[in-house]
Parts: sequence; C-alpha cells; structure tokens
Amino acid sequence: MTETAWIYIFLYCGAIGLILLGIFAMVMYRNLIRIIFGLMLLEAGVNLFLITVGFRPNAVAPILVDGQMPALAMVDPIPQALVLTAIVIGVGVQALALALIVKTYQAYGTLDTKKLARQIAEESGTRVIDGIPISLPVPVPSNYQIEEKKSK
Amino acid sequence: MNGILLVAIPLLGAFLLPIVYRRHNQIGIWSTPAILILNLCIALLLWYRVTTEGPQSIAMGGFPAPLGIIFYVDKLALLFAIAVILGTLILWFGNEKGRIKEETLILLIVGGSCGLALSGDLFNIYVFYEIVAVASYGLAASRGTGAGYAASIRFLILSALGSSLLLFGIALIYAVTGTLNLAHLAYLAPQMLNSSIGLVAFALMLIGLGVKAELFPVNTWVPEVYTTAPVRVSALLGGIISKLALLIVVRLLVLMYADTNAHLLLLSLGILGVLTGELAALRATELRQVLAYSSIGQLGLVAIAFAIPGPAGIIAGVAIALHHILVKPALFMLAEAWGGQHLSRLAGVAKVSLLSSILFLVLALSLIGIPPLPGFWAKFLLLKGALEVTANVGWYQMAITVVLVATVIETAYFLRIARLMFQASQPQQPINIPHKRELLPAFSLVALLMLSVLTVGPISRSLTAVATDAADRKAYINNTLPTEWQVLKKVEVSPRI
Repeated sequence: MTETAWIYIFLYCGAIGLILLGIFAMVMYRNLIRIIFGLMLLEAGVNLFLITVGFRPNAVAPILVDGQMPALAMVDPIPQALVLTAIVIGVGVQALALALIVKTYQAYGTLDTKKLARQIAEESGTRVIDGIPISLPVPVPSNYQIEEKKSK
Repeated sequence: MNGILLVAIPLLGAFLLPIVYRRHNQIGIWSTPAILILNLCIALLLWYRVTTEGPQSIAMGGFPAPLGIIFYVDKLALLFAIAVILGTLILWFGNEKGRIKEETLILLIVGGSCGLALSGDLFNIYVFYEIVAVASYGLAASRGTGAGYAASIRFLILSALGSSLLLFGIALIYAVTGTLNLAHLAYLAPQMLNSSIGLVAFALMLIGLGVKAELFPVNTWVPEVYTTAPVRVSALLGGIISKLALLIVVRLLVLMYADTNAHLLLLSLGILGVLTGELAALRATELRQVLAYSSIGQLGLVAIAFAIPGPAGIIAGVAIALHHILVKPALFMLAEAWGGQHLSRLAGVAKVSLLSSILFLVLALSLIGIPPLPGFWAKFLLLKGALEVTANVGWYQMAITVVLVATVIETAYFLRIARLMFQASQPQQPINIPHKRELLPAFSLVALLMLSVLTVGPISRSLTAVATDAADRKAYINNTLPTEWQVLKKVEVSPRI
C-alpha cells in the first residue's frame, strides 16, 4: 500500500461514513432540528465525495500562470465547481428549512414529527391508531334508504 | 429564437415581478400570463423548427459538447415544456389575482421545468431540479396555515434527502466516466456504465428523482401536501411537475442504461406505486386525498410504461402522462369547493350543480379508461407495449396483471363517489357550488380532452414520431457530440474508483 492509496481510502471512508451517518440521523430522529443536522451531515458527505473524486496526490491548483502549464499534475477543477454550487444550494435549502420549522413550531408548539403527523392527520379527518393513519369507512347511501326518503 | 429563452424569460420575469407589482398593480397582474403566452409562442416556434430541421443542440457560451453545457431541443423535451407552460397558463385563470409571491414561485417553477426538460448535462439537471424543488416548498406552504407549514417541512426533508442522493449518484457517474454530458455519457455507457457501480448510480438517481415523481418508497409527502396546499398548487405539482422528473428518468434509461437491467428497477417501483396508491385511494375519505393517492397510482402507470424498452414504452408513457396532465388538474380544480371534509358531504351534489358533477364524471371515467375517452387509448398503448416485450416476459406479465387489477380498484372508488353525487335525492349537508373561476380551467381542460378524442389519429401519429426520435440514441450522440470525441480514448490510468 502506497501512501496515496491510504489517502484515498481515508477520504472515501470518511465520505461514505458521513453519508450513512446523515441518513441514519434523518431516519431515526424525530426532532425536526436533529433531522436538519442529519441533512447537513449528508450534504457534507456527498460534497466530500465529489471533492475526493477530483483529488490528485501531489497536484497543484488548476490555474494557468502567464499562460504556462505548471510542471506538476493539476487537480480536476470540475468537481470543485460542482461542490461550490452544491454548497450554496444546500445552505439555501437549510435556511428555508429552519424558517419553515419556526413557523411550524409557532403553529403547533412541538418539533416532534410523530406528534405533528398525528395533528395534521386529525385535522384532515383521519384517525391515527398506533402511529398509523387509518381512514374512516366511506358511507354509501343504500338503495333502501333512498327509496324510503322518496316515499316520504 | 433560441431554446435558452424558454428558461431565461420566466426566470427574469420571476425576479422582476415584485418590482413591477410595486410600480403598477394592473401591469403586474397581467404580466404573468403575458410571460407565459410569450413562452408558449417560443416553444411552438421551436416545435415547428424541430419538425422541419430535426433536433438541435445549443452550446452555452459557444463551448462545444462534452466541455460546455448544452441544451438539447428535441420533440420529447419540447412536448413536456409546452405541457408545463400551457398547464400553468390554464391554471392561472383559476387563480385569485394579485398573489405576488405565488406567481413569482410559479414562474420560477416554469423556468426550472423548461430547463429540466431541455438540459443535456447531468449536473445542470440537478441544479434545475433544485430550483423546481425549492419553488415547490414555498408553494406547498403558500396557504399560510400551520398544517401547510408542517406538510411543507416534511416535504422539504424528504426532497432534500432525495436531492442529496441524486447528487451522490451523479458524483458516482462522474467518478467512473469523468464526464457529465449526456451525449458523451451515452457514448461511453456501453463500456463503462454496464457494471454494478453504474446500476447503483442509477438506483440513487432514481430515488432522488422519484421524490418529485411520486415513486413508491419516497411519496409520503403526497397526501399531506395535496390536502393542505391550495388546489391550484396541488394541480400544478401533482398534475404537471411530477411528469418532468420521470422525463429525466426516461432520458437516463434510453441514453445510458439501454442495455442493462435498470428498467426492471423502474418497473418494480412502478408496480408497487400503482398497487399502494390505488389501495390507499380506496380507503381515503376526503376528495383531495383520493385525488392525491390516485395521482400516485397514475404516476406508477407512467413509470411502468417508461420501463418498457424501445419506442413502444415511450409512446405509452407519454400518452398516459399527457392524459394525466389534462385530467388531474381539472379534478383538483373541482375539489376546491368540495374538498376539506368527509366524502359523505358530496351526497346529492348533482342536484345542486349538475354541470360540475358531469365534468367530474367524465374526468373520472377517462381516468379509469372507458373506451371512447383518451384514458382508454393511453392504457391500451401501455398494455400493447407490455405484451410485445420479448425479454423478462414474467416481469411484464406481472405488470399487466397489476395494471388491470388497479383499473378495477380505480373504478370502485371513483364510481362510489359518482354514485354518492348522483343517487341521493337531495343534499343532506349544505354544499358549495364550485366558483366560476375554478370551473373555467376545469372546463377548458375537459374541452382539450374532448378535442383529443376527435383527433386520436393525428395525435397517435405524432406521438409515434416523438417516441422514435426520443428512443434514437445514435441520433442524440451525433447531433450533440463532435466527431473527434467519438473515438474511444484509452481509459485514463488514474486512481479513481
């Protein structure tokens, strides 16, 4: 194993680890703020993965000085441009998420997703039993009832 | 006249709209439809150009294909762009006038979806997808109620998870091939993406795009958002925008995964979506929820159709998608007055408002697939395409069975509602007649539907042309990629994956 191989293993393991940690946090936690933290971890993991894809050992930044190519290898600039865009989008979405969380807290006084789901379901006329929303049966006017009304 | 204008004009309009409103209210109110009509004219002109001269690729900033970002204008992309613009325009007439924030977001969505349809670059697709997604979070919360905010944040969490997975999939593809251009990827795919890493990347992108496309495991936001958002927003998101995500999936399938088993993944998600959506709709007790679940089922049908390899699948998928684009927004517009409470409230609606009940019945019958209506032809094309498949016959036979069973379930819940409407002698509870403002879009969509009944022949011929164009991978590569890039270079020896 050369030294550079270890750098790659380290970076890729870090990226995959962050992604898994983020998904785990988003799935397991019920608090909205913690879920947003999970989202941040996930985005950081994906960004680290992209940067690692463009990484070259012992390379320099891809900048031409005086129109001359540098003697050393250059890192791949495309993933860096992509990550810059992805970070900006990520920050925007996180800010929007926090704003929506504030509004939700003002309306319901809780950040627990289960309690929120139950309250929303009850507002829209669905019963919630053991955390599972269950719809009420649909009544259909039977022919018998209708004929009875007509005769009246 | 350029395809970029389709994206640039609505984006510019979205940014200028609040300023215009501040200066002059009346001009502000009419600038949204003006922008949409202008966009529609450009799209129709482009359609004419594409029919006469063939598909075009536009290089951004003059950099040619694999290095620069390109827009690929072909009939399939233009068809969906026209559907989005026309649908938004029709829905605008059902809007209360002067809602600045909503109109700004709607223009953003139109610009983003036109870009999504036309883009020929994977990362560009991700950016446009995020533009559409962020605008739809805002629209989902635009009623301003607590339930709207809560539904919107839950939608945002799921959608952001999906977008991250989409970006991860794109990163994997870049790691394997070193390019993001769809044409270059199509050229390299048979050598480089025909592996387990390629399939993993496809699965990640499918889940990511599936959030918008209401695919099976990631569609829990659908009933919540559609019952809490204003109906025209539900109509826009569920009826129109959701198809764009599936358009991207079919582009990826045709260009990059034509020779692999990736379409079976889409097929199984579609089958599960149809089954779960229709069964949930059977148990739902509110009209808007019924429509939301049925929309999941219909998008499952589109997914099944797109999973059929070759032009037959694209014809069927586009037919079902276009039919749903007409029918579902119209049904949602009718639900504005009738939704919000238990279905039993609808008993005897026909006595109060005969016209809207008949509209509902026609739309429901078309969605089920009763012969003279276009819904029948769409489902017929799907079954015909699935029967002609030669490889993996068992999977497609299962899909056919599921589609037929789902049709029966659909019939059960729609006719149950229709029976409630027409059978009760008089309404037991007071019921609102749909407002004229909401009936107008519903009526014009039904008129379009009826028009398509009369012109089934020409429509099917042009759909066939669209599908053969779209399924032609060689043409896409030749139209976009300069010939010097069509020589397979020696794979770089670099410590990538």
